[in-house]
Amino acid sequence: MTKKLILAFAAILCTLGLAAQTYTGGVKGTVINRTDRQPVAEATLVLMQGLEEIATATSDASGNFLIPDLADGMYDLVITAPDFIETRVNVTVNDGYVKNMFNLSMTPSQVVNEVDVENLVEFDLDDSGYSDNPTVLFGQNDVFNEIAGFNFSDIRFRVRGYSSESQDVYLAGVRMNDAITGYSPFSLWSGLNEATRTKNTVNGAEIADWGIGGYNGLTNIPVNASSVRKGWRGSILTNSALYRLRLMMTYSSGQLDNGWAYAISASARLGGNDWVQGQYYRSFGYYAAVEKQFDDVHRLGLVFMATPGNRGKQNSSTQEVYDLMGDNMYNSNWGYQNGKMRNSRLAITHEPIAILKYDFTPSYKFNASATVLYRFGKNGATALDWYDAADPRPDYYRNLPSYFWNDDEEYNRLNMSKSMWARDAWENQDPSVVHVNWDRMYNVNKLNIIDGQRRSKYAVEERRADQRDLNLAASFKWRPDRDIILTGGWNAKFNRTEHFKVLYDLLGGDYFLDVDSFADRDFSAYPYMTQNDLGYWMEHGEARKVRSGDKYGYDYYAQVRKTEAWFSARAEAKGFEAAIGGRLGYTAFWREGLVRKGLFPGLNDDGSAFLVDGQPVTNYDSDGKPVTSFGKSAVQDFITGAVKGNLAYVIRGGHRIYFNAGYFSDAPTFNQTFMSPRTRNTVIPDVKNVQTFTTDLNYQFSNNGYNLRLTGFWTYIKDQSDVMSFYDDSQHSFTNFAMTGIDQRHIGMELGFQVPTPIPDLSVEGVLSYGNYVYTSNPVMYQTIDNNASVVADTYGVKIPYWKSHPTADGETVRHYVPSTPQLASSLGLSWNHNYWFIDLAAQYFDKAYLDMNPVYRTDMATAGNDGIVTMEEVEYMAAQEKFDPAFLMNASIGKSWYIQRKYQLGFSLNMKNLLNNRNVRTGGYENTRLISNTKSKERYFRFDPKYFYMSGFNYMLNIYFRF
Amino acid sequence: MIFAAAAVLLSSCEEWDPVVNVKYDDVYVDEGVTMTPNTTIAELKALYTTAGQPVKLEDDDMVIGGQVISEDRSGNIYKSLYIQDETGAIEIKLGKNGIYNDYQPGRWVYVKPSGLTLGDYEGMLQLGWRRNQNALGEDAADTDADGDNSDKYETSYIEVDYIINTHIFKGKMGTPVEPKVLTEDDLKANLATRPMPQQGPDFGRLVRLDGLLYGKEVFCLVYPDPNMPHDKDHSENRVFLSDKDWNIKTWGLTKERMIAHLEAGDFDAATLGDNSKPVSDPEVKAKLLKNAGAYAVSQYFKMGQTTVQIRTSGYARFADKELDPKILTGQYPISVTGILTNYQGSIQFTLIDEDSIVLLQ
Repeated sequence: MTKKLILAFAAILCTLGLAAQTYTGGVKGTVINRTDRQPVAEATLVLMQGLEEIATATSDASGNFLIPDLADGMYDLVITAPDFIETRVNVTVNDGYVKNMFNLSMTPSQVVNEVDVENLVEFDLDDSGYSDNPTVLFGQNDVFNEIAGFNFSDIRFRVRGYSSESQDVYLAGVRMNDAITGYSPFSLWSGLNEATRTKNTVNGAEIADWGIGGYNGLTNIPVNASSVRKGWRGSILTNSALYRLRLMMTYSSGQLDNGWAYAISASARLGGNDWVQGQYYRSFGYYAAVEKQFDDVHRLGLVFMATPGNRGKQNSSTQEVYDLMGDNMYNSNWGYQNGKMRNSRLAITHEPIAILKYDFTPSYKFNASATVLYRFGKNGATALDWYDAADPRPDYYRNLPSYFWNDDEEYNRLNMSKSMWARDAWENQDPSVVHVNWDRMYNVNKLNIIDGQRRSKYAVEERRADQRDLNLAASFKWRPDRDIILTGGWNAKFNRTEHFKVLYDLLGGDYFLDVDSFADRDFSAYPYMTQNDLGYWMEHGEARKVRSGDKYGYDYYAQVRKTEAWFSARAEAKGFEAAIGGRLGYTAFWREGLVRKGLFPGLNDDGSAFLVDGQPVTNYDSDGKPVTSFGKSAVQDFITGAVKGNLAYVIRGGHRIYFNAGYFSDAPTFNQTFMSPRTRNTVIPDVKNVQTFTTDLNYQFSNNGYNLRLTGFWTYIKDQSDVMSFYDDSQHSFTNFAMTGIDQRHIGMELGFQVPTPIPDLSVEGVLSYGNYVYTSNPVMYQTIDNNASVVADTYGVKIPYWKSHPTADGETVRHYVPSTPQLASSLGLSWNHNYWFIDLAAQYFDKAYLDMNPVYRTDMATAGNDGIVTMEEVEYMAAQEKFDPAFLMNASIGKSWYIQRKYQLGFSLNMKNLLNNRNVRTGGYENTRLISNTKSKERYFRFDPKYFYMSGFNYMLNIYFRF
Repeated sequence: MIFAAAAVLLSSCEEWDPVVNVKYDDVYVDEGVTMTPNTTIAELKALYTTAGQPVKLEDDDMVIGGQVISEDRSGNIYKSLYIQDETGAIEIKLGKNGIYNDYQPGRWVYVKPSGLTLGDYEGMLQLGWRRNQNALGEDAADTDADGDNSDKYETSYIEVDYIINTHIFKGKMGTPVEPKVLTEDDLKANLATRPMPQQGPDFGRLVRLDGLLYGKEVFCLVYPDPNMPHDKDHSENRVFLSDKDWNIKTWGLTKERMIAHLEAGDFDAATLGDNSKPVSDPEVKAKLLKNAGAYAVSQYFKMGQTTVQIRTSGYARFADKELDPKILTGQYPISVTGILTNYQGSIQFTLIDEDSIVLLQ
């Protein structure tokens, strides 16, 4: 794998050639398309000897190539071409002859098998406190990734059970994972598939040429103009599970003789889908890049790209709601306004990325590059906001039949007739009950007239997280000797993300009042405490009236600074390849509150207590520190570092055995450190570096149409922290749960294979990922409530005794698993390729997927109930983790392309997923954090129902594309 | 391409609404329905004929109508809507927060009571839903001693939207109703009309009482552990603050004020309901502090010789407002506007908001 990566960089070096001595030997042949035996022009052929690249050539219009001047010896010939799968063959040159390889066939890559990142958009868990960000597998040159990346995306498979944060994604050599959350940033360029098609990927703890990274692979997307495939490309696509229409047009000049290269791309994604009502796209994409090769030494490139637009989101609901609606894809986010469908939760984004990259290649032995990357713009998410009015969300638990009746009397829900009425409303699908009732909200707002002005009780807010993200990166690659490669670099990130709310829509009112509606319930007798902007209130004597477009609610900067230096060395001898690498860095971040919140006024600038009406109102935490919303927090800083080692042994004939190991000490992210950044500067007490140790052993075989990778891995992650914030209506407030000391262990294996069958053009392919990903510690939990500076006595600084496992009455121990991915994922399929036709059929089986756990249900407080007595029965009920049912799925694809006059290409692919129309596959969800405490006996608590996301039933994607 | 175009056309137009609507059309205010009541509120209340027997209303044609006289904006009225016609007023147990957002004072409201239940709560008739049932649909025994469904209530809340939408109808906006001014004799007459099923004609009405003097006495019932049973059979979990003012100078007790009183020792002399321990007992005090919450307070006033308990929720916005020092002297009369209610044969008075209290001198 690592060898392949070098190729990408080598392409630049190779133009110089290496021949200092003249030989008579050589290699020649013809590159052909395996499916129709037609020649493949412009294929790149790279001849390798171990790590060293000996020569390169390009096939001509008839597919012919010649590599002359070769000494006798054994070589690897690596053939790549756009739209074809990389091929690798062994060549032996002897006696000074030019070896004729005759026909070297390549298998066309299937355009259908591209994963649209938008398939994996973040689940909308805004109010739940959970996070769920997808990981995306890129199927380049790895048999496992290629099959799993396509087949496992819908089930939200995570490689080796790792979280999204652990997947390092680079753009032009700059790490792009979100500075605040660490999430992989695919949505920044989704819709620009063509411009970002070229990707270099390493798996696990392998060492890459553009950084050291972590334990879950590194992907680099060069995005420069010359990396975009030459010519015009266009496509029209419809995806019945996503959007009706995607249009995409791309042009790349390729490398022109005058040294220039430029590329442009534009796309639009529009419409809804067959499965989720209210979900829709109105998204666009643009990309422009220009690059100039000044001479053989200097190259300068500029890229500007963004994917502006908005998108209506899907929400999760409880099973009760899905059953009432008879639809597991019910979406509670939308309703009718004047008879028109309107979604309350939109993602509205426009975050351009500008990249300036300089490449310096003074000799074939040395190259270096420097990149400046700037990300900016807006990132908004809308939601309903309301003040002293009924919860407008249709699936609010008090609107459901279960709130009124439960067969178990202990629940104390005993009004069958109300339950029946509530059921009737849902089953009759009364739109004012089962959907957001926009018209009512307008009516309420318009009739709430105070001093001649309509004060909105309902509004749509837009939560913004606007980044200013400046990155500098420099790296070099030096080959002092033919068997040694040294790489290294330095990078720095300056990120300032402003988090604030904007009043998006007043829904017929004239203004919204900038007060904390939650604090208002508890502290209405103390108006200063309810102010979101205490400074304004003190100056004007009243709360600020917010108009459309105004900031309100909260406003703070998350400031992040990161810098890191890295180095790696790679050597090769006698079939062995060894690489070591390491990085050392420094991360600092802090919060900077831009408004003073009434609940947490903090101190004056001079350090004196803050006064309201002459009375000190500063409140203090349990350590005696003032609780502060305004100004700069203490700087949290961390020394980070990692070491990695790879060892590989190559056996001729396409076998490779390799071993990787790594140790990482990484800073937690901003959002894993601050307890409640919307309201105050408080950080979790004992947050520290996350330590990870990982190792894997791999066997790879690739020859003559056979492809196989088998991997075993073991990873231990220690001292993670996490923060969940959600609205708790028993507290009338946002509640924050922080956990520290979360440890987990991931053990498992991966298998991917492609095997030709005796039937011509037909191969069998499959993947298996089987793991055991478990929690191995009982973390410490810290609960705070936004309405209150003091801590929650029973749940602050306490161990969560049933986090990693819970005991049963029979004396057994039930383990708890890392959630949100199937720990068993498998696929077995047939693939047929002939004369530009392809047909694929795959059957898949998934199991061992678990629901995300919340810490509360695993505490003594929750298992004790009102009476304070913990019983085994309560523990078994409360602490148990839900396991999803296994899923069996079938997918099929068919496609064909035509060449017209050797110049134009037209093709289609039709990709059908979930042929069995299985509509009961849970792909994610989360536990509610609330407890039913008003039980009959007062001896125990019950859980609230969890919420789930489901996979779409049968869906298809049709892509029609053309190239010229 | 044809396929894609067809897919676009075949998909429902509705689905494209959010794609093409950059800005949604304004929504016009719903004018409200007009219905013709065929039954007065007094006639409705008269259907309650036997004390202790809630009446499930079954006449599908019955319509009553009235104007909204209550407002829960200040938080003192909670999950209740009072409507009034010329003959009387009734409380509708509309179990929602922020009722005033939909039912503004003065708005006409029509009720088709068929399916609803008319029942008593300690001397006040309420229109609500039937109480809890068991799995067979039979009325349940006392299942929740503390809450909505305790024996004291003969009805439960109407909080299911579908029930509300099919029984309670918003009419046109009207001019807010003027309070009826009552004399002490009126109060006496109302009180005399008892016991149930008889009920004074003014209970539930918006009224004004003039000339009240402070009685220097409060009533407040506090639960050391509100999560555990605290009905009259669990007097060990109750603390009565009564017969004097306990230094409570506010209309209600917010959580903060409760903690302040406890810390100041104002309630130390009170005892648990079973007289086992005083509040000053460290264990009792700790429990009260830990579980401190907001509590309703009845401040006692006199209208002539008649006692009027002004009962204010601890969640009211003005709960923490201290009574004017002049009022506290017991020498200065006040005028109050609010809902006249009856609790176990006493006049209880519910203020609409802070402006409902006027110092007369």
